[in-house]
Amino acid sequence: MLFGKELRQCGRAERARIGVVLQSESLDFVSVEQNLRLYAFLWGVPREVAKARAEEMLELFELGPMRDRRPWGLSGGERRRFQVARELMHEMELLFLDEPTVGLDALTRTRILDYLAGRARRGLSIVFTTHILHEADRLCDRIGVMNAGRLATVGSPDEIKRAYRGARTVEAEFARPLSVPEGGDLRATLERLGEEFVLVEAHDDLLLFRARNAEALVAEVARWAGARGIDLERIAVQEATLEDAFVRLVSDPTPLGFPSPEVG
Amino acid sequence: MPLPPVFRLVVRNFRASIDPITLLVMFGQPAFLIVILGTMFNQLIPSVGSSGSYIDFLVPGMIASQMITGAVLAGRTFWLDRRWSMVEQIFSGPFRRSEYLAALLLTTLLFALVGVGILTLVALPLIGLPRLSTVELLVILGTIALGATFFGALLIAIGGRIRSANLYFTIQSLLQYFLIFISTVYYPVTAKTPLALRAVVYANPLTYAANTVRDAFSHTFGPSDLTAGAVLAGLGICTFFLAVASFRQLEFGPVQ
Repeated sequence: MLFGKELRQCGRAERARIGVVLQSESLDFVSVEQNLRLYAFLWGVPREVAKARAEEMLELFELGPMRDRRPWGLSGGERRRFQVARELMHEMELLFLDEPTVGLDALTRTRILDYLAGRARRGLSIVFTTHILHEADRLCDRIGVMNAGRLATVGSPDEIKRAYRGARTVEAEFARPLSVPEGGDLRATLERLGEEFVLVEAHDDLLLFRARNAEALVAEVARWAGARGIDLERIAVQEATLEDAFVRLVSDPTPLGFPSPEVG
Repeated sequence: MPLPPVFRLVVRNFRASIDPITLLVMFGQPAFLIVILGTMFNQLIPSVGSSGSYIDFLVPGMIASQMITGAVLAGRTFWLDRRWSMVEQIFSGPFRRSEYLAALLLTTLLFALVGVGILTLVALPLIGLPRLSTVELLVILGTIALGATFFGALLIAIGGRIRSANLYFTIQSLLQYFLIFISTVYYPVTAKTPLALRAVVYANPLTYAANTVRDAFSHTFGPSDLTAGAVLAGLGICTFFLAVASFRQLEFGPVQ
């Protein structure tokens, strides 16, 4: 579906409302500046508007010094910046970006992503395809995970992390191994938290939980250990990453015990 | 108010994809040939065509051959668009495939007309200003239009099916030279022409175009030219549908 229409029924009117930055390099055999203005002409942008916008894009994407150069003479990062800049020469409601940051250095990547995040805040909807999951985690409100050509799940980054990796990992290390009765007692105590945690691993003195409410779990474990005089060597909370969730999702698509997002 | 999509694409085809050196070679070469061949062979060839002058024979043939130049330039634009993913980029915008195809054919025609204009200017000192009636002028332009459609659509149909630049440009060069040299552009078919070669020359649509343009120039336009025009139109329609079919099955993705 696009703008409430089946994709097959979408035509010129719908395509006029979108922008597409292809993963492959697409360029015309004219200078960078002429490319920007020619593309704007193709989209029917008035000449004066195109001229002003080209200047804005050249400055914004730091392409000014290479404005008279042909795009194939630019470096990979410059060409990627040029492609994003060119697409922004026309007005749109929805922008598709197919891996816009592949091959870019960290500085360029940050610059492009910051600009796009700003545009998104000002109302532009962006569909962003990437293999770099921390970018998706940082930028996206809603993520669709594709696996083997199928949409495996859709949800916010937090929802997906919660469903497939647990929101956060709590690692508790005791000064000595827990006995079997102590382990059972701790489990019974923690179960009072309901479905807020999952015990993932247990090795003698080390327990690994995934918890939605990590703070409550930490407090409960500390309280339990204190009450029984067991020294807690270390208790740490680790943020779950989208990458963890993705790896878990593609290897086992069954959500963990937490509420599941919409599964496609 | 922006131009209609087809015209925007035509303007873009002209402004992008074509570099000045390519244009100079494509249009300069036939102009150079008119001057050199026209001057040199004019001394060697005693009598040819209705006027008996080789230069009078050569110029209309060269003008007709500009339909090939137009087709080659449009085919090159299309191929470069495929090579540099501009076809996908354009189709992702508010353009239909039919508009892109129409723009390519219109580009072919306009390039051919630019070539005709350049050759006419170059030939002026050699043959003087041709005194053409309105009908003869229309016949020339109509023939160029039909021929440009035929050759342009043919190269587009081929370009849409091939994924290798080497292969495409090899086929294009072969076609270009085969069609121009095995036609009546440079020399007439006479009783001394071997039968097999004569058959090939008459199987070549450029021969019909060259003969029709030549007859219009020499004011001997007749029924055989109407037949030639009809053949050219028929072939143009066939290759147009081939180009449409090629476009419908056009596969995106990398081409080498």
